[in-house]
Amino acid sequence: MKKFTMLFVCLVMLGVHIVNAQQKTITGTVTSSEDGMSLPGVSVAVKGTTVGTITNINGQYSLSVPADAQALVFSFVGMTTVEQAIGGRAVIDVVLEPEVFGVDEVVITAFGISREKKAVTYQTETVSGDNLRSAQSTDVSTGLVGKVAGLQVNIQDNGVKPNSQILLRGLRSISANNEALVVIDGSIASAAALNDMNPNDIESVNTLKGATAAALYGSNAGNGALIVTTKKGKKSERFTAGILHSTTFEKVAYMPDFQTEHGTGWDGEYNNIENTNWGPRFDGQVRQIGPTFADGSFQAVPYAPVKDNVKDFFNTGSTMQNTAYFTGGDETGSFYMSVGNQNTKGIVPDDVYKKNTFRVNANKLMGKVELAANVAFSTDDLDVVGNTIGDQDRPLYWFLLNTPANIPLTSYKDWDNPESYGYADNYYNAFYQNPYWAIGTNRNNVKSNRLVANLSASWDILDNLNFVTRASVNTVSNRGKNWRARQTYDPVLQPYHSTVSSFVEDTESEATTYNADALLQSEFKLTEDIGLKAIAGTNVNTYQYNYSYIRANNLSIEGFYDISNGTGQLEGVVDASQRRSVGFFGDLTFDFRKWVYLNLTGRQDYVSTLAKGNNGYFYPSVSASFILSDAISALNDMPFLEMFKVFGSNSTVYNDLAPYRINERYTQGRTGFPFPFGAINGFETATTAVDADIQKEKLNSTEVGTNISLFKGRLNFEATYFNTITTNLITTTTPSFASGASSYLTNIGKLTNNGIELSIGGTVIKSGDFKWDVDFNYYTATTVVDEIKAGITETSVESYTAGYGTFAIVGEVFPQIKAVSYVRDPQGRIVVDAGTGNPVVGPLKIMGQTTPKHTLSFNTQLHYKGFTFSTTMDYRTGHVYYAQGSDQMEFTGRSMESVMGDRKDFVWPNSVIETSPGVYVENTSIPITGGKMDFWQNQYNVIKENYVKDASAFKIRELSLNYTLPKNLLDNTGFISKVTLGFVARNVLTIFPKEKYIFSDPEFRNTRSSDAANGIGIGGYFAPPPTRSFGFSVNVEF
Amino acid sequence: MKKIIFILPLVLALFTMSCEDFLDVNTDPNNPVSVTPDLILPVGQVYTADYYQEDRGLNHLGNMIMYNWSESYGFSWYDDEFKYLVNTTFYARLFDKAYLQPLKLYQDLQKFGDEYAYYKAIGMIMKAYHFQILVDLYGDIPYFDALQRGTNATPVYDDAQAIYDDLVVQLTNAIAIIKAAADEATTIAVGADDVMFEGDMDKWIQFANTVKLRILVREYAVKPATYINDELAVIIAEGSGFITKDVMVQPGYMNEVNKQNPFWAELGWDVSGTVIMSNDATCATQYVLDYLTGIVDARRDRLYETPDDGHKGVEQGLEVGKEFSANLVSNIGPGILKGADMGANIFSLAECYFLQAEMALNNGFGGDPALFYAAGVTASFEYLDLTAAQAATYLAQTYANVGWANSPNKLEAIITQKWIATNGISAEQSWFDYTRTGYPLNLPLSAMADPLKGRPVRLAYPASEITGNTINLPEQPNAFTSKIFWAN
Repeated sequence: MKKFTMLFVCLVMLGVHIVNAQQKTITGTVTSSEDGMSLPGVSVAVKGTTVGTITNINGQYSLSVPADAQALVFSFVGMTTVEQAIGGRAVIDVVLEPEVFGVDEVVITAFGISREKKAVTYQTETVSGDNLRSAQSTDVSTGLVGKVAGLQVNIQDNGVKPNSQILLRGLRSISANNEALVVIDGSIASAAALNDMNPNDIESVNTLKGATAAALYGSNAGNGALIVTTKKGKKSERFTAGILHSTTFEKVAYMPDFQTEHGTGWDGEYNNIENTNWGPRFDGQVRQIGPTFADGSFQAVPYAPVKDNVKDFFNTGSTMQNTAYFTGGDETGSFYMSVGNQNTKGIVPDDVYKKNTFRVNANKLMGKVELAANVAFSTDDLDVVGNTIGDQDRPLYWFLLNTPANIPLTSYKDWDNPESYGYADNYYNAFYQNPYWAIGTNRNNVKSNRLVANLSASWDILDNLNFVTRASVNTVSNRGKNWRARQTYDPVLQPYHSTVSSFVEDTESEATTYNADALLQSEFKLTEDIGLKAIAGTNVNTYQYNYSYIRANNLSIEGFYDISNGTGQLEGVVDASQRRSVGFFGDLTFDFRKWVYLNLTGRQDYVSTLAKGNNGYFYPSVSASFILSDAISALNDMPFLEMFKVFGSNSTVYNDLAPYRINERYTQGRTGFPFPFGAINGFETATTAVDADIQKEKLNSTEVGTNISLFKGRLNFEATYFNTITTNLITTTTPSFASGASSYLTNIGKLTNNGIELSIGGTVIKSGDFKWDVDFNYYTATTVVDEIKAGITETSVESYTAGYGTFAIVGEVFPQIKAVSYVRDPQGRIVVDAGTGNPVVGPLKIMGQTTPKHTLSFNTQLHYKGFTFSTTMDYRTGHVYYAQGSDQMEFTGRSMESVMGDRKDFVWPNSVIETSPGVYVENTSIPITGGKMDFWQNQYNVIKENYVKDASAFKIRELSLNYTLPKNLLDNTGFISKVTLGFVARNVLTIFPKEKYIFSDPEFRNTRSSDAANGIGIGGYFAPPPTRSFGFSVNVEF
Repeated sequence: MKKIIFILPLVLALFTMSCEDFLDVNTDPNNPVSVTPDLILPVGQVYTADYYQEDRGLNHLGNMIMYNWSESYGFSWYDDEFKYLVNTTFYARLFDKAYLQPLKLYQDLQKFGDEYAYYKAIGMIMKAYHFQILVDLYGDIPYFDALQRGTNATPVYDDAQAIYDDLVVQLTNAIAIIKAAADEATTIAVGADDVMFEGDMDKWIQFANTVKLRILVREYAVKPATYINDELAVIIAEGSGFITKDVMVQPGYMNEVNKQNPFWAELGWDVSGTVIMSNDATCATQYVLDYLTGIVDARRDRLYETPDDGHKGVEQGLEVGKEFSANLVSNIGPGILKGADMGANIFSLAECYFLQAEMALNNGFGGDPALFYAAGVTASFEYLDLTAAQAATYLAQTYANVGWANSPNKLEAIITQKWIATNGISAEQSWFDYTRTGYPLNLPLSAMADPLKGRPVRLAYPASEITGNTINLPEQPNAFTSKIFWAN
């Protein structure tokens, strides 16, 4: 505390040091060309000296200048700098033009601290709200894809409320969270809060790509940050009201590649009740499917493929979004208000999602204090098919994959009608239920409310001393109800189906983050050449989480889903956790003639999750930037060079431990089948053993880069090299189970993350009404596991017993897929068994990294008069994924592979036989065994290497064409000020250049709570197939 | 404005002053950091029952390898078993779960003070019980350094024989601890939380002696006679004898979700009365039905359900048609599927008698092997809710390996009867005996198995050890030829 006071006093004293020299006085007013309003805070300086002042609140200035002064330079962030020759004038009024592609643009950095772009000593990149919204994405994450170098947004499913993962510069930790911190209006929020926002409320999203940029956030800084700024009314802006509507339609873009040669059957024989496609070759004859009814009748269909029988199960989805907004302001305050709603119908029948958003942003200047409140409230309602369907608790897609090629699936919609073939007892499939039945009898409903409120006060204590304090809350509450109806079967018609039991689950959860900051900022000159921007601050953060779950089984009253309806014991869980931290930080930015910037930051954090006395950590960073174009006169004189900056930085941050993890705790006994038995209760030690000396995970990040701006900002080039070394990784390692623990939480190993980002962007053509902007981004990042622990060369991240999983392996890129492989000879030919002719099942083998080696994205906008055409596309390559769905299709005989041998025994192509150890002879005669079926199900399917696919994908993510009506057309109406019409399309095209057969989008993965967040690369079959969408938008302003 | 100036330092001061308390929120409200042994013991015991009797548990494996169980038409659930596909994932749970569940809890009991001596001794006895099974399945295993959790994440492998020797020592020590604790006023009694013997420490001593006998019988052929005799003398001197009832884990199983007996939950009916798929999938082999029918054995209809059209089994690994559908074949019977609330057997009285019979046959320990043999068969009948009179009728038949007098090879008779007595209950014991003695003779191999390799004699070290204990894991022994030390 003492240090803090000292610093405060120092800052105040230093601030009083004001430059003083005089001979002649010039006065004037500076206004903006945009609205004609006066501009306060404009820097007015005598050219070639450090003599200067800034304009007052009314835009007026008064400056004493030396007699020999030649000219005045007027500069203001976001405006073009203007130079005026003095020429004996005593009054010089100036109009400043806004700068469109300014190198002087202001960047909002950590804690809402705004900096001139050239003073920024690390790489940041801003996406404007308009760019984000160009294709009317319903959530912000989707809108960010492909727009920032180094930002990887993985859209993990295409549900009506998609899950996404936001990674900056790859991965740095094996077990800890690798997702970027989300900050909304200066306060720590969450990725979920970001996606609950109405995208129309966003002014900009600035990405702080590295840990140095985010270092002030302490333990939350390691993964970089997205700094989201919401719209504010502009001061002295006239009252504007607008409405924005968009409607988009969504269709399945592509299905897995299915074989269409064989249908219902088993082991080559036709079978009328099978879920599998192991029947004979299609012959077009009408055959029985399903049971024979009491009257001797049965359903009969041609034994021929039904085109798109699975694809046609999916509907055309739709999304309607409406936003009404109001904005305006006077000299002392402004406001922005919006009300929005979204109504989405999914491609899965009956899947719906509704969202309502409300936002009020207001600020008011009272004397020297400005108060601001940014408050957003949102509610949503998700109603989708459950994902524990049938007696095997399977997801919906499973039932579709178990639909043979000759089944007219869409004819089974009438599942509730006992007269229909879709009815449970009459359904053709003896093993899996009708997916339409699934939709009607398994529902999962989640409603949530979220409040993100942010209050701040900013006080200009002195001209160059400002105090800001902020308090924010981000709270979400969820209420879920998941139920399944009971289904019994007629034992004669459906002898193989067992009763599907009923249940109802009620969940409630609440997550709240409280955050409070106080910052004291000052900016002044230490000497004529050296300036200092000094910031001291404190931050207090509390996170609370509560969860409760209660489940009743075997319900008494049909169709009544309440806990009271259950029989037997209720099942339930209550969980709560809390984490707190207190931090103090300082940030000093020195500049030498605004050519060189040196930024030092430090934060001391105290956290609740570590042992007392050992819970304080210091997070330092040092960074510098050098504006070569200003410093070196030769460069300064180059007319085309606007700015040439180089920068470098280093920082150390730590990842925190989760709450309560420092101690081993007991849980109620018996995994999966909890105690008590009557009066006998039981507890057991956790499955995870904890290292008694567990500490924080350390990340040391270094970054060097350059920003070059040419031709008055029309061409910009940015390049960055970054490196993060993570040590003391807090990792749940796999010990010997004989230790009595299945996992061991400890600090191990070392990861090195390296990468490069390159961006080239600018205005290629600007001529009259025509303007063409392009933006290329390239990004590569690899994270290599340098060491794990003595004697351990790998640790599992997400493993499946079936022979594949994601791993951290020493010497390899993280994460890495391993899968049961073929055995190959030195020439790479597949070794087959001399007896059976079947490929020999090999060991688990390293198959490749799951994060892209190279990511290339391209954005462009073409403007012509009122038209704007924009598109975003990207290409990710150099990585693999595991197609879990393809794996599942082998059993059912629906895969393309299962027909490659024409369901006969054939000699495995390019195979060899090992005649004696190390001696391989080409196999030309011994065919595989069981090619009719058994081979595929029990040999081919065991070799999981078959399902590791190249994830390279080129995607046209967004396409939009907007037309803004000319103003003169609207003048006649008298009240309409702007009309924009747009056509939008998303995920227009996806090309997989390296795979013949695909199952689904490589970005998709299972996102159940049991799936490890860092287990990237296991592509599940829980999400429906990928979609493309297209639609239109209308924006009218009054 | 001035107000703010005053409020600000106040707020900051508050933050810093209360920092200590403010950050003191790291106590988990949902999970305790410590609990007393009476809450640990029942979990360990219920896990022991799960380990033994759950789906793909120890007993299940035994029934597959010993040709007791097969598969009805329409299922392909037991291919791995029928192929004897002994690889790193085959029944890996028998390694993994032993350490992670029951043994973890019995080890946890060791940390308490002397007032909990009874709990410690129970933990020691149960550890010995489990570690013997692990040695019988795997041979060398982590033992002396095992169960140390974070302190030793990669325990070394110990010699199987050395482990056996220590188990005997530990059992003797456990008995001594119980006897010493009985004289201490501070000793905390064990109560209903002991879901095996309800705190009856005499029964624990008997159980310790019985486990010790199982060890000594198993290793009889490979240990010096003096060692065996000395240890038998210790049992005799101790004086409590062996178990007198089937040893059951009975926490109060009931017909509730997650509260059913684990064997019932695997092979019986769910809470709503719906048949579990495994019940349909699992049925008798024709061989075992023939065996029990040839020699009239009342146990047949208790071990296997009688279909309307009479008993029908499926030979292991044979592809069969619809006439072998679940409703037409002999599924698991009512003598071993007694109800959702039945206790879970972990050591049968019948086996105890057969162990005594074998030791008596070896060296005259305890008296006449014929009496133990008859008692074993009778206990087997009684386990299946048949009568001693029915057992007597059965034994009166003059077949070899039925009537004692008619059995030319007494050991074969004992081990063959043990095969029937452990059917569906603790069949892994029969497998261990088979590896050791080759009885019962003429037991068929699965049709899917490689006849050249024969029946496996052990399990392979599990995949978890390959990833978690690479530095210590020995080379995988041959599962078909590399017998556990006591069978060499």
